[in-house]
Amino acid sequence: MQLVGIEMLNIFGGSAYLDVDQLASHRGLDKTRFDNLLMKEKSVALPYEDPVSLGVNAAKPIIDALSDSEKDRIEMLITCTESSFDFGKSMSSYMHDYLGLNRNCRLFEIKSACYSGTTGLQVGINFVLSQVSPGAKALVIATDISRFLVAEGGGVLSEGWSFAEPSSGAGAAAMLVSDRPYIFQMDVGANGYYGFEVMDTCRPVADSEAGDSDLSLLSYLDCLQQSFSEYQKRVPDANYLESFSYLAFHTPFGGMIKGAHRTMMRKMLKAKADVIESDFEERVFPGLIYCQRVGNIMGATTALSLVSTIEHGEFYSPKRIGCFSYGSGCCSEFFSGVVTAESQEYLKQFNIADKLNQRYSLSMDEYDALIKESTTVRFGTRNVKLDTGFLEGARNSSDMPRLFLKEIKEYHRLYEWSQ
Amino acid sequence: MINRGELILEKKNVFLIVKDVISEVLPDVDSNGVKIEQNLKSLGANSIDRTEIVMLSMERLGIKLPLVSFGGVENIEEMVDVLVDNT
Repeated sequence: MQLVGIEMLNIFGGSAYLDVDQLASHRGLDKTRFDNLLMKEKSVALPYEDPVSLGVNAAKPIIDALSDSEKDRIEMLITCTESSFDFGKSMSSYMHDYLGLNRNCRLFEIKSACYSGTTGLQVGINFVLSQVSPGAKALVIATDISRFLVAEGGGVLSEGWSFAEPSSGAGAAAMLVSDRPYIFQMDVGANGYYGFEVMDTCRPVADSEAGDSDLSLLSYLDCLQQSFSEYQKRVPDANYLESFSYLAFHTPFGGMIKGAHRTMMRKMLKAKADVIESDFEERVFPGLIYCQRVGNIMGATTALSLVSTIEHGEFYSPKRIGCFSYGSGCCSEFFSGVVTAESQEYLKQFNIADKLNQRYSLSMDEYDALIKESTTVRFGTRNVKLDTGFLEGARNSSDMPRLFLKEIKEYHRLYEWSQ
Repeated sequence: MINRGELILEKKNVFLIVKDVISEVLPDVDSNGVKIEQNLKSLGANSIDRTEIVMLSMERLGIKLPLVSFGGVENIEEMVDVLVDNT
């Protein structure tokens, strides 16, 4: 069997974050049972951070770890996003430039709400499996932000949507897909996918979102059950409890995953509450740790949960991780792969926890000022020079070189490295 | 074909089951005081609790239905109606 999977994987969780509990109080949200939602922090995009800068910052350490000849084998650069600033031009063209990749490379972008990162990953996997260009690699960059301006007015679609603000983050995941699956060896053909039309959450206007959070939760749960059932058809001996040492879920917020896991344990195994609780702590919680710090980064969240699982799990012997991805609208997929002790060790080179710790802590006043300042880069902005002095503490929060948006000149985005 | 009387009885029985489930998911709520016109949010249920109440009610009634069938449900009565229609 041809080996395939993720050779390298890195997360960039932004430069600044906000305490979510503080935000909920500030917005006057009903905090009854708020703790059950299992939210802690969310990364917030600075005005001079956009999906391109976040994506490049996630991918750069991977590119730097490759030799020139290895780098030249990247023949596909896929951006996966719901936050692009152009309907035509792919953000992968910018990233290709700032990462200095070989020009004999396919550059394109995928949209499929929060399912986009998994879509890109599967395209990369199948490109490698096809062996049309033996030894070639695909760089998949899932990158999303939420500049928080809720679509105003309306009924069902915005009611209850206020909780989206504390849960929505900003960040990117870069995955190098190849025939050397050092981080995550994909189980080839073990994929259960399931999709149908539903109007749960969407981005029908620029710089804003709308959604029916209850419907989205219901749809997520339907999809989890259905995609796992399809996975079982393709992997007949698969068992929700025994086949996977860990589970990495697309995580809009932690409490939702706890509920989803509880449903699966009850439906599939008729498990009792105490068994479900301890199983959640053991197999699911490791994947939530980073998600609780960064928030929902949409297309990149499943990868974020996977990284969190690898860093916080125990891999003395190779272990299988079950992954579930869901994108509103909707499409979903349950897939799996194997992680080893070497994978865990190899991932350490990216110091993901250190970088999350280095993020700047925003006060509420700074956050409100940031939202106001972000209107300078609204969708469709033709010309603007970014104020590099804005929240300088956040800009200088890390010791690693980072890419920031410098200027928009006749719609063309120009970036600069921080060091 | 069930007549109107049977339908009212059915709705009453389903509501009793739903109230029982509500007290299980929201232990602080006195289910005897729950009115069918109320919405679950006003009882302190968050989105996870609301979904849990829908799922447990379906399980008790032996109903298998896509959860999205409950999308747009505004109060307990509308939820009961979806359950009754599919009993």
